[in-house]
Amino acid sequence: MNEKYLVGVFDDEHTLVDAFEKAIEKGVVIEEVYTPYPIHEILQGMKTRTHITHAAFFYGLLGVILLHGGMYYAAVLSWPMQFGGKPSNTFPSFIVVAIVGTILTITLLTLLTFSVRSKIYPGRKAKIIDIRATDDKFIILLNQDNMGIEKDAIIKLFRSNGASEVYEKDANTTDKQLSNEL
Amino acid sequence: MYKTDIRGKLIDGDKSLTQISQDILAPIDAKTPTWWYIAMAVSLMMFAWGARSIYVTLTVGIGSWGQNNTVAWGWEIINFVWWIGIGHAGTAFSIFLLILRQKWRSSINRAAEAMTVAAVICAALFPLIHMGRSWLFFWVFPYPNTRGPLWVNFNSPLFWDFVAVSTYLLISASFWYFGMVPDFATIRDTTKSKIKRAVYGFFAFGWTGSSKEWLRYEGLAFVLGGIAAVLVVSVHSIVSTDFAAGIEPGWHSTIFPPFFVVGAIFSGFAMVLTLVTLMKKLYKMDDFITANHVDAVCRILVFISLIMGTAYITEIFIAWYSGSEYEVFTFFRNRITGEYAYQFWFMFIFNALLPQLFWSKKVRHNIWIVFAISICINIGMWLERYIIIVTSLTKDFLPANWAEYHPTMVEIGFYVGTIGMFSAAVLLFFKYIPQIAIHEVKMISKYNTQQFDHLKPGHHDYE
Repeated sequence: MNEKYLVGVFDDEHTLVDAFEKAIEKGVVIEEVYTPYPIHEILQGMKTRTHITHAAFFYGLLGVILLHGGMYYAAVLSWPMQFGGKPSNTFPSFIVVAIVGTILTITLLTLLTFSVRSKIYPGRKAKIIDIRATDDKFIILLNQDNMGIEKDAIIKLFRSNGASEVYEKDANTTDKQLSNEL
Repeated sequence: MYKTDIRGKLIDGDKSLTQISQDILAPIDAKTPTWWYIAMAVSLMMFAWGARSIYVTLTVGIGSWGQNNTVAWGWEIINFVWWIGIGHAGTAFSIFLLILRQKWRSSINRAAEAMTVAAVICAALFPLIHMGRSWLFFWVFPYPNTRGPLWVNFNSPLFWDFVAVSTYLLISASFWYFGMVPDFATIRDTTKSKIKRAVYGFFAFGWTGSSKEWLRYEGLAFVLGGIAAVLVVSVHSIVSTDFAAGIEPGWHSTIFPPFFVVGAIFSGFAMVLTLVTLMKKLYKMDDFITANHVDAVCRILVFISLIMGTAYITEIFIAWYSGSEYEVFTFFRNRITGEYAYQFWFMFIFNALLPQLFWSKKVRHNIWIVFAISICINIGMWLERYIIIVTSLTKDFLPANWAEYHPTMVEIGFYVGTIGMFSAAVLLFFKYIPQIAIHEVKMISKYNTQQFDHLKPGHHDYE
């Protein structure tokens, strides 16, 4: 589908945050914001929430259960060994491996979750809106099919709040040359 | 919130965001300097000697080393513990300074994490080769097998070590790598070379810098950071149980876990200091790694050095206070006096006394003295492991069993080889990877600008 985007380019964090907050106030629907580093006002304002930390907690629970279960199985059920009459279930000393193993479980599964949810994985081609967004520009992206308010009003809003450029582009073009400066 | 007027600028030079990218990426685009090739050649020669030593060990056997029945652990475990200790700094920097909200960490954490990964790989080689039949190393994995089924011993500190070190390597490598993903995207989007765009574009994993990516990225950093803090403490505690769980005099001591963790962070920070002084001088990163950064690391070293000194003295005191003649003999006849006294006192001076010079601001601001002291600490921490291992083993309970230990050329070559491997890795890092976390430095650069003062209260304090 050939979607049309409206792109607002800002030179620094402060003008971006001001414009972003004013746009949200006026009811503008913001598709995405691209920044060179994380900005918390934007992350909070975008209303998307992440549960990766909660997921990590449950991965930890899973790790604890699996590791203790696994060690109990190996040392008590599968192949109990006699160490001078000591019990096979040497529980407190299982804790050491369990802690480290749990950390490993959390890391691997959280990384996987991050990779799947953010679609960050080897070989993925980046869908770049404005190539300067990883360097020094702060980009607000609007989808022209669903912007909330009139296009002209948005352009005016961006301009009056310090946008250095406002332009349109097709979703399929990657070059900035093909877009129209407004 | 960081108060620039009180604590000084985090980075110098009033750089724009583009300038930050350009300055940090300059070594990647610039022509490789001649010293780099020379250093690389030397590192590779050292590495070749190491590879030959490993070959000899694998073909001849552990008999090519200086170990004997009494001193069954020699340079290999010394070097293993030394490298693992150095490997603690990366995570210590990233995690502890993150938790303590030390924003200056942003200029240094990348180098520290890179160093960690290289050091842990060097460390892991020693137990791997010491196994003798290294090609059967997979026997250490707990999996159902046809040899019994005989499971590994979950109560053994040596197995804990295996679990801890491999987990630590994996986590520090992923923490390091995911920290670089946004920076690889910056290279992809700013470079003029097509090859670089393709290569770094591949490693950037399709990063665009969208708010959704950043949101989850921060969540991931939070999770990894939180659990890696536990890991740093547990890994070296586990390494210390290799000794503390034994009955050798001088090892059998409850002070070992905290003593080892602190010692590891000490040696790691010293190695970070060595590395950042090199980055400052060789790559002119002075604007990012300012005198304040070096100053801060030095001040941490003074503090840790005091803990080290206290630990050494506590060990000696407890040996006397315990009334155990074996402990008294080990500490009073075989460490502070006796044939290993030189090593002991050099260790004490390098680790506990010399860093006290950092109390002086003049010393902290003289980059050459700082560099020299950081090297001395690295040597001192190696001697510490030497003292712990060799003095306790050579003369234990039964004088009939006493023996001497001298490393053979094969062992020395192996150690030199890992140093070559480490320095080659560091040189590659200097050349191909952004030495400083670009996006993090951009994030803190706003604390330098005037505009920041006009912002609404209650905003912008993150990390």
